[in-house]
Amino acid sequence: MNVQEYIESGIIESYVMGLASEPERAEFERLCAEHPELLAARKKFEERLEGYASENAVSPPPEVKVKVLEAIGKPDSRAEIASIPPTIVTMRNDKEEPREKATAGTPFILRLLAAASIVLFLAMGYLYYQTKQENKDLTDTNDRLKTSLDTTKNVLDRIVKEQADVVSNPNVTVVNMVGTTVAPKSSANIYWDSASSNVYLVVKNMPKLTSDKQYQLWALIDNKPKDLGVFDATDSKVILQMKNTQKAQAFAITIQQKGGSPSPDLQKLQSMGKTLQNQ
Amino acid sequence: MGIPTTYTEQELVLALKQRNDQAFGFLYDNYAGALYSIIKQIITDNSELASDVLQEVFINIWRKIETYDSTKGRLFTWMLNIARNASIDMLRSKSYQNSQKNQELPDNVYKGVANQTVLQNVDNIGLKKVLEKLKPEHRILVELAYFKGFTHEEIAEMMVIPLGTVKTRIRNALIQLREYLK
Repeated sequence: MNVQEYIESGIIESYVMGLASEPERAEFERLCAEHPELLAARKKFEERLEGYASENAVSPPPEVKVKVLEAIGKPDSRAEIASIPPTIVTMRNDKEEPREKATAGTPFILRLLAAASIVLFLAMGYLYYQTKQENKDLTDTNDRLKTSLDTTKNVLDRIVKEQADVVSNPNVTVVNMVGTTVAPKSSANIYWDSASSNVYLVVKNMPKLTSDKQYQLWALIDNKPKDLGVFDATDSKVILQMKNTQKAQAFAITIQQKGGSPSPDLQKLQSMGKTLQNQ
Repeated sequence: MGIPTTYTEQELVLALKQRNDQAFGFLYDNYAGALYSIIKQIITDNSELASDVLQEVFINIWRKIETYDSTKGRLFTWMLNIARNASIDMLRSKSYQNSQKNQELPDNVYKGVANQTVLQNVDNIGLKKVLEKLKPEHRILVELAYFKGFTHEEIAEMMVIPLGTVKTRIRNALIQLREYLK
């Protein structure tokens, strides 16, 4: 082959500037090894290109050198870089979003841990608040139950005291009401305080009535009945204060319509008990 | 301090392969401007991205210096091709395309590039200044091949001229270029 023609074909420039194809490059490299004049021509063009490029150099921004030296782990001790704020730059494989990548210096795992601690902190805060709220609810409920218990205890104490008063009072007459032939099992006690006229009734055993009926207590004064109030069979074992009466030769219990009636239906007389009071 | 202020090319290459950071500093100080110039001739309208490419190029030079083979060309030729390839990669990257939203993409990329090339005669620097001396039909081919990174086949397709003609014209243009570099 004619080496001079080959040199003048433009292959040197094409090879040096990176425009030659792979087969062209391979051939050129092989021929360079064989023909010193081809190698010399290549070097001449390279020097020319380098010289021209150097003459036409454009100064890059000074921070580029700092970034490069930091990236390769060789801080430039000679250059005055103190005035330039250091920036951590990692080598990018892709060139997308370079500005974002430059600022996102925190490793992902640290950001993940930071996010996790925030979530944990919020969760603990919520749990603490919830526990505190539950505790408050329990305390409130406890207080309410205690108040309720106190009230109940007071009521019970009062009842016990009243009963004791009634039973132990020397003025109180106890009248044992016994069942009539209509209701042989019915029984109740009347505690009649002749001094204060108070009448108390304790149901011992009175049959349950339908919901439209009630028992009614009467005092018999000179054979005339006096209404002393109504009660239910369910009021058993409780001392009931009835209406007062100063006089009574006997007490009687009848079954009446709910709410009672002005005069007793004596056919339904359930129980009766005589007092010692003279007529 | 005993730090040599100049190196021969062989000394410089040897020192770089030995990971000598002073040699690397020398390399940067002496060649960054020339490489930045070629980068800016390819990435013409975004100095920030051009700086990013220069940074990437020097990091690559440091990391790949072992692969440099002096029998295939001078150190500067090797670095120049790294800079050109990195610039063309940037030109084709999504982030660069996104910064060029006012341009027609990508169906009309060939047409767009061709128009851009014709219009870009205003403030050319470096090699592009030399290109202006070429005939327009030669200049545009060198532009597309060297500064845009298109293959001869792609250029033949987009310019609708035979592949052989593309090769011949580019070779002729490069020969003229060499003459202007004197």
